[in-house]
Amino acid sequence: SVEGDAIKVCVRVRPPSEGTSLSNGHQGLCLSVLSSKNIRLHSKPEPKIFTFDYVANMDTTQESVFSTVAKNIVESCMNGYNGTIFAYGQTGSGKTFTMMGPSESGNFTHSLRGVIPRSFEYLFFLIEREKEKAGSGKSFLCKCSFIEIYNEQIFDLLDSASAGLLLREHINKGVFVDGAVEQVLSSAAEAYQVLTMGWRNRRVASTSMNRESSRSHAVFTVTVESMEKNNEVVNIRSSLLNLVDLAGSERQKDTHTAGMRLKEAGNINRSLSCLSQVMTALVDIGNGKQRHVCYRDSKLTFLLRDSLGGNAKTCIIANVHPGSRCFGETLSTLNFAQRAKLIKNKAVVNEDTQGNVS
Amino acid sequence: MAAVGGCGWAAVCEKFRTARTLSTVESRKDPETDPYRSKYSARALLQEVKQLLSAAEEGDEARLLAVRRAVLEYELGVNHTDTEELSAGEEHLQRCMQLLEPHRLSPDCVSLYIQAQNNLGILWSERDKIKTAQTYLESAEALYNQYMKEDGNPPLDPSEHFMAEEIQLTDQERSKRFEKAYTHTLYYLAQVYQHLEMIEKAAQYCHTTLKRQLEYCGYHPVEWALNAATLSQYYLSKQCFMESRHCLAAASVIFSQAGQVPSAEDNETEQDQQDLRQRKAEIARCWIKYCLNLLQSAQKLLEDNIGELDPDRQLELKAQRKKEEDEKEKGRKKAVLFGMSDICDSVLAMEEKVSSVYPLDFQEAREIFLVGQNYVQEAKEFFQVDGYVTDHIEIVQDHSALFKVLAFFEEDYERRCKMHKRRIDMLEPICSELNPQYYLLISRQLQFELADTYYKMMDLKVAIGNRLEELDSHTIKKINSLAQFAIKYYELFLDSLRNPDKVFPEVLKEDVLRPAMVAKFHIARLYGKLITSDSKKQLENMQTSLEYYTFLVDYCEKYPDAVRAIETELELSKEMVGLLPTKMERLRAKLCPFI
Repeated sequence: SVEGDAIKVCVRVRPPSEGTSLSNGHQGLCLSVLSSKNIRLHSKPEPKIFTFDYVANMDTTQESVFSTVAKNIVESCMNGYNGTIFAYGQTGSGKTFTMMGPSESGNFTHSLRGVIPRSFEYLFFLIEREKEKAGSGKSFLCKCSFIEIYNEQIFDLLDSASAGLLLREHINKGVFVDGAVEQVLSSAAEAYQVLTMGWRNRRVASTSMNRESSRSHAVFTVTVESMEKNNEVVNIRSSLLNLVDLAGSERQKDTHTAGMRLKEAGNINRSLSCLSQVMTALVDIGNGKQRHVCYRDSKLTFLLRDSLGGNAKTCIIANVHPGSRCFGETLSTLNFAQRAKLIKNKAVVNEDTQGNVS
Repeated sequence: MAAVGGCGWAAVCEKFRTARTLSTVESRKDPETDPYRSKYSARALLQEVKQLLSAAEEGDEARLLAVRRAVLEYELGVNHTDTEELSAGEEHLQRCMQLLEPHRLSPDCVSLYIQAQNNLGILWSERDKIKTAQTYLESAEALYNQYMKEDGNPPLDPSEHFMAEEIQLTDQERSKRFEKAYTHTLYYLAQVYQHLEMIEKAAQYCHTTLKRQLEYCGYHPVEWALNAATLSQYYLSKQCFMESRHCLAAASVIFSQAGQVPSAEDNETEQDQQDLRQRKAEIARCWIKYCLNLLQSAQKLLEDNIGELDPDRQLELKAQRKKEEDEKEKGRKKAVLFGMSDICDSVLAMEEKVSSVYPLDFQEAREIFLVGQNYVQEAKEFFQVDGYVTDHIEIVQDHSALFKVLAFFEEDYERRCKMHKRRIDMLEPICSELNPQYYLLISRQLQFELADTYYKMMDLKVAIGNRLEELDSHTIKKINSLAQFAIKYYELFLDSLRNPDKVFPEVLKEDVLRPAMVAKFHIARLYGKLITSDSKKQLENMQTSLEYYTFLVDYCEKYPDAVRAIETELELSKEMVGLLPTKMERLRAKLCPFI
């Protein structure tokens, strides 16, 4: 049905940092949750109301975020569809808490564990159930990879020695990271282990190369392959589940979303570096004419191209901090989230049969 | 030199120079935790210099002093904006302009004045007041033009005001720096116009910026070439083929320079080589689009109301072309030409390889087609299907489109058919291998295009058959098989719209509405065209045909918004829904004449 392929957008409001809300009541907050679908931002002069597929209030549990947002995506993944769950928001808005859970507990059974561990549990629960139902006729193979995109370069978090991997495409398997380590998984606990190990690599990297973790995107991908034998016919089905922790949204000012800011010419003669961006924008506006834009999308959008308006099930969890000091960032996150619903793949079926009806 | 003369002056210059080095060189090494450390030190030094200057006696050299102060205000202004103190930065820059105002057209001030305005432009854009930025930048542009008209001698570079006389710059260096400041003005204006959605102006300023980069050798060949190629695509969308070709020719020429330059230490990594090959392929793809657009636009001009070449129109356009060609193009050309003489010659030679005027007959079209086809081969060398699926397929689709438009110019139906067959041969293998789970949209595009191509071929075979006295069995077989293939691909396309439970959507989304309807309509027609001597079979085909026509009519009744998308098809469908049952009744009567 129609609901199937639209991008679902959820907003989660984290509790304010200690001290802010208790001391000055709701004064220090820049938004209020009106219902499970509406949120009001206390902007001036007029407050602004946003509508989303789901709004999680401060006291919404990890469990209910998971079951409203992610459960369905894991299920369709079992049915052979690709699924992607994004977390978006400024640093400190609760992305990692939502996706992973409290950082200090390496414990996978923690009651506050996030969407990712819960997705693992659910995925393997479904796999076990399928296996029981189908008996020996059906088998599953789960593999995972974990990569990080920083400065338009791809690093393998499961192999800290590697650097600069390339994105490639396969006619049957879609986009993949060439050379990324793939680890076979047999249980949710194992998956969680791989994830935490990779996550640790991410942090190590952040000190050794002096980069902040919130400047990089992390993509954890689980491939689920099922093989079913019906008499002599072997039916193989494969799908991907991408769990994405995006870089803090405040870091993305330099990309296309930037407002009116002019890019300065560098000190070096040649570096009028944004000329290409201006021209790409000019070509983009082109009126349905055939044209080629030389500058590729970012690595992240290329990797997840299928998730953004393809035939995958995609959900974006936009995390916001309710503190009034975060007003600007919260507004831009909510605006992004609202735009996200409109994301569509630009490609159209070229239908040109004018004059052919005779 | 008043109070700060002699060795005092040398110390001042030294301080100034240190401040500049701190600001431009040292600051890049500042730690992330203390990003403005060097800038703050530079600021302190500049303020010291300012103190020293104001201690100087005013009087005999008031003008000199004012200009020096302006330089300091400028440096302080830039320093403050760099460190996110916009208001202070604005004050300094304004003061700089005030001090210079009376002398802004003199050779020792004009460059500084322009740069101050450039920086105010950036400053105001950061405050989201793009219109204000625009006024500063446009006034900088005007000042440059006025100066060049009235004086034109290489003006002093701002840094020279704090330089010992014996190390002053050469005229050549001065001119280079002045022109660079002005290039920046144009570059910022290109951005301003883009933000203000003044697209044409933005493109024009991009063009000028590129041109000046070339003139003053301030460019990196690969980057420049890619920019020029991208600009060519803008001109394509405006149907300015001459400009588009010029950009592409220049892109190719400049790009080839990049290959010739022996790499600095000859230790280019594999990655660099790979990048270079990719850029080359990207430029080739821009050329493909050029050829394709030129051909397609020509087709639009030449086709009659059923999409065939209109010979009257052809003659008319040929006559018109003869008349206009020379006068008009030459005037336009002057304005956009890239490069100095040596580059210019290569660019012109490159341009000569392909026309920039609409092809009006098969021969002309074929020449453009061949150029396009060569670039298809070149682009495919890099964008191989293994590793670059999407890009590769896009190139193949362009190749197919080149054949499609060439077929329009071909008068011989048999040969035209063969061209379409070529398209099928290139598309079919990809389509069957492509996994729609990851490439749904491309998959749909291919299915539709294949269906459409088979449909066209069938039409051509029917037309050829109609010229014969009688349809021979071979032709009939051919027509039927082409029709079956067309049906197969239309059905595949329609199946791709089904949901996971294989149910066809109740409501079609906007982006697939028209193609889905056209697919239904064409299937209906195809069943009508199938030739069979078996009346029962014929009746079945008519029944299927009727079902598809009915789908269209019913859908539009239920969702009247859809009517707009398929007006002509709907009209014909309605007609058929009215006619077919009677026809079928007659056929049935013939089948069982005794009832």
